[in-house]
Amino acid sequence: MIHFDNVSKVYANQNRPALDHVSVDVDKGEFVFLVGPSGSGKSTFLRLVLKEERPNSGAIHVAGKDLAKLSNFKVPHLRRRIGCVFQDFRLLPKKNVYENVAFALEVIGKPRRFIRKVVPEVIELVGLEGKAHRMPEELSGGEQQRVAMARAFVNRPMILLADEPTGNIDPATSIGIMKVLDRINRTGTTVLMATHDAAIVDSMRKRVVELEDGKIVRDQSRGVYGQAY
Amino acid sequence: MRANFIFSEVWIGLRRNLTMTIAVVVTVAVGMGLLGIGLMINSQVSSLTNVWMNKVELSVFLCGKNDAFPACKNKGAITADQKAKLKQTIESMPDVEKVDYEDQNRAYQNFKEGGNNNILLSVLKPEDLPESFRVKLKDPDKASAVEQSLKGQAGVSNIVNQRQILDTAFGFMEKLKYMALSIAILMVIAATLLIGNTVRLSAYNRRRETGIMRLVGASNVYIQLPFVMEGVIAGLIGGVFAAVLLIVTKVIIFDQIQMYMSAPLSWNTLAGVITLTMVVGVVICLLASFVTLRRYLRV
Repeated sequence: MIHFDNVSKVYANQNRPALDHVSVDVDKGEFVFLVGPSGSGKSTFLRLVLKEERPNSGAIHVAGKDLAKLSNFKVPHLRRRIGCVFQDFRLLPKKNVYENVAFALEVIGKPRRFIRKVVPEVIELVGLEGKAHRMPEELSGGEQQRVAMARAFVNRPMILLADEPTGNIDPATSIGIMKVLDRINRTGTTVLMATHDAAIVDSMRKRVVELEDGKIVRDQSRGVYGQAY
Repeated sequence: MRANFIFSEVWIGLRRNLTMTIAVVVTVAVGMGLLGIGLMINSQVSSLTNVWMNKVELSVFLCGKNDAFPACKNKGAITADQKAKLKQTIESMPDVEKVDYEDQNRAYQNFKEGGNNNILLSVLKPEDLPESFRVKLKDPDKASAVEQSLKGQAGVSNIVNQRQILDTAFGFMEKLKYMALSIAILMVIAATLLIGNTVRLSAYNRRRETGIMRLVGASNVYIQLPFVMEGVIAGLIGGVFAAVLLIVTKVIIFDQIQMYMSAPLSWNTLAGVITLTMVVGVVICLLASFVTLRRYLRV
């Protein structure tokens, strides 16, 4: 599903590479934690998957497509198959829960009838039934993150990327968020989650890929966050 | 593609940037209006040139009894002999089509009919006006050559070349035209920059939305179209104001001076001019928006 082959990325005006000859394979339906300290290359990894950045060397395949050969014109179609969740939720403050989720479908031109059918389903899946008409500011952080997850998942992507989704949320609420991610993973969606949260990684017992200074220092199935932390 | 989504985005964008939108509308209106006026003057000049150049005459005035022209001084009036000889000379020139003799009575009559100077008319007698030959040419461009060869002939007091009068008038109109067009070009540059700025502000205001659109895989067209449409709609509104300006100009200026010119500015010409200015306005807005978006809205 996601295949990195000897990928390096150096940002302009920086000597140290953000990613240094990284090779990883993530299969369909896997749940992978990407761990490591700040600046270890986690975000760069996710941005490369989305083709927001281009690698300086190496090959990246996502959902069977070679990103180097994917024309800019087709990048939006790649992104329709990838859902994204961020630490800062990125909701539209002037739209309610339903509209925020529906927005993701409207802007890729889905018919209204389809939107009316699937949006309530996915709102229920993330556990926000009955809150469809709330505004983001009326919701707790955990609930806002659920809205963001609903928006990321509403188009049934093959891959869900989560960049520190529990970073702004207290530990008790984080468990609920992880349950939703697990539920999404069980539908067959590949989940790739970058995180600092040792407790969550330890409790989930999923595959862990650890980055340090742009290099993979550990790749362990059913791993924990690591003794050093 | 969902039209109502695009249009609601466009509407929001235009409203949020109301002052910039007004600036764009005004600049486009004035710029396109001046461009249109330049084009209208141009079409007037060329149709007037056609009409008038065929009517160009040389007026060869003849010496009167006490004429003050240097050519006649102390020589007295032209004699019948000189007059006949002069007429023959003119008629024998290859560029001359026709020669009419205008005596003092007819000159007085013509002056009276053209008459706007009533005080002068009350003291003027037919004897005060000079006799003349009215020379019509085959080719109006030869007027000065003919004028040169007739100057200094015995009994000729003065030659008036209508071509020179027309050239002065047309020259003035040409200058007006170039002035209007150069201001129009400046306005077009201003409009382009303003549209660029508007689109940039708009892109900044909506960076949250466009960021999400990018993430969920909205196509470039879908992301950019609202911004481009904003520019185009502002340009179109400006174009409509310019059209109104041009219609008013036609009615209150061109139609008023039309009585002095035998080639009125037709509504057809005006329609052509308006269409052209509209197209130019919209194309400029379109290009300005696209160029700005490429710089400020990474997709």
